[in-house]
Amino acid sequence: MRLIKSLQQTLLILLVSLPVAVFAEAEIETLEISDEAEVDIRVFKADGDKLLLGFACDEGQSVAEEATAMSLAEDGVEVWMPDMLGGYMLPKTRSSIYSIPSEGLYSVIERAMETGKKVFLIASGPDTELVLRVANEWEAKHDGEAAGLAGVVLMFPRLNEGKPEPGKEPEYVEAVGKTKEVPLLLLEGERTPNRWGVKHLTTALAASGSHVHAKLIPDVRGYFFKRQDANMPEEVVTTQLAGLIKASLFFLGRTD
Amino acid sequence: MKKLLILLLLVFTLPAVAGLKPYEGEGATPPLKLVDMQGNTHDLAEYKGKVVLVQFWATYCPPCREEMPSMNRLMEKMGDTPFVILAVNMGETMEEVEPFVKEVGPEFPILMDPDGESIGAWQVFAAPSNFVVGADGKIHYTLFGGVEWDDDEIVTKLKELSGS
Repeated sequence: MRLIKSLQQTLLILLVSLPVAVFAEAEIETLEISDEAEVDIRVFKADGDKLLLGFACDEGQSVAEEATAMSLAEDGVEVWMPDMLGGYMLPKTRSSIYSIPSEGLYSVIERAMETGKKVFLIASGPDTELVLRVANEWEAKHDGEAAGLAGVVLMFPRLNEGKPEPGKEPEYVEAVGKTKEVPLLLLEGERTPNRWGVKHLTTALAASGSHVHAKLIPDVRGYFFKRQDANMPEEVVTTQLAGLIKASLFFLGRTD
Repeated sequence: MKKLLILLLLVFTLPAVAGLKPYEGEGATPPLKLVDMQGNTHDLAEYKGKVVLVQFWATYCPPCREEMPSMNRLMEKMGDTPFVILAVNMGETMEEVEPFVKEVGPEFPILMDPDGESIGAWQVFAAPSNFVVGADGKIHYTLFGGVEWDDDEIVTKLKELSGS
């Protein structure tokens, strides 16, 4: 009985200390963007030739994101998580993404490209609008070419303009369908109503020429890796999120 | 000025509109022929002469789960009005749907569409998506998102549509 209690205590201590241990593995790099803005970037260093830039806007503070970044780094994919909102002293609200100056985002991408690695962007939910906008503007800035941007991963993209109307085709935010060269990969949970819009969104995203892959993740709901009420399949996929993202980068690489 | 203020006050204190929107889509009502959980086939065309609420839902959609009990109450409130609900499940299996159906006990058929065949035809991109088909077989209203279906305003509109 005492042994079980001791084991329970040990397990509890391990669980409580896990986020701290994970957080300790990342380095913080500060990027001076202008006289007014400095962006802190959490960097999970790796030796491989791929670099994943996660515009979660808040340095990816959730435990699943940290663990995933760690796991990716162990597998050779370097992960950068810039705190764009903090850098521009913007409140952590959804609407703040519209206030992030494009120049700041370019600076982060340019710094990432200085490493010589293939740079991929990743975002989930409404933040996918931001990465699409950045990819689009990046191409526009480089005469319509990807200019080193190897691809964009859109996890559970929420890109509808307004509420969907039954019986009508969805309308999307302006950033959709503008990219010409940068390949895109869309991931959606199988157990989310949005899965029924994946085909339509894929077509819309490819409108200007980008090659678009779409994958459904079996048995999971949207944002499963952030859920407090995650079920067993969602917990399993969360632990394998790094593998899923690595596979996504592989698919994006195939269109090079 | 005072009148304007009173008018504005009235506008902003009116009860919220229940949410049925006049249908703006084009073309004929798409076909709908599916089998319910008991194995009976339902063909929308055979319900001509009745008002039909066609709902696309899924157990993984929280608003769908929340509003279904109010659909039972709507059935009750509609009384003898020629009215039917056809609730189309979006791509799930019987094993996934059964526990929820047992819990809620819908008093209307749950149609199964495991391959999502009807979803494309009806241009459904999110859930719950609702279509109100009139006795003439045409779509008159749509509604996206969860509502309390036994809301008096909805009941009145549905009864008006049936001619009752």
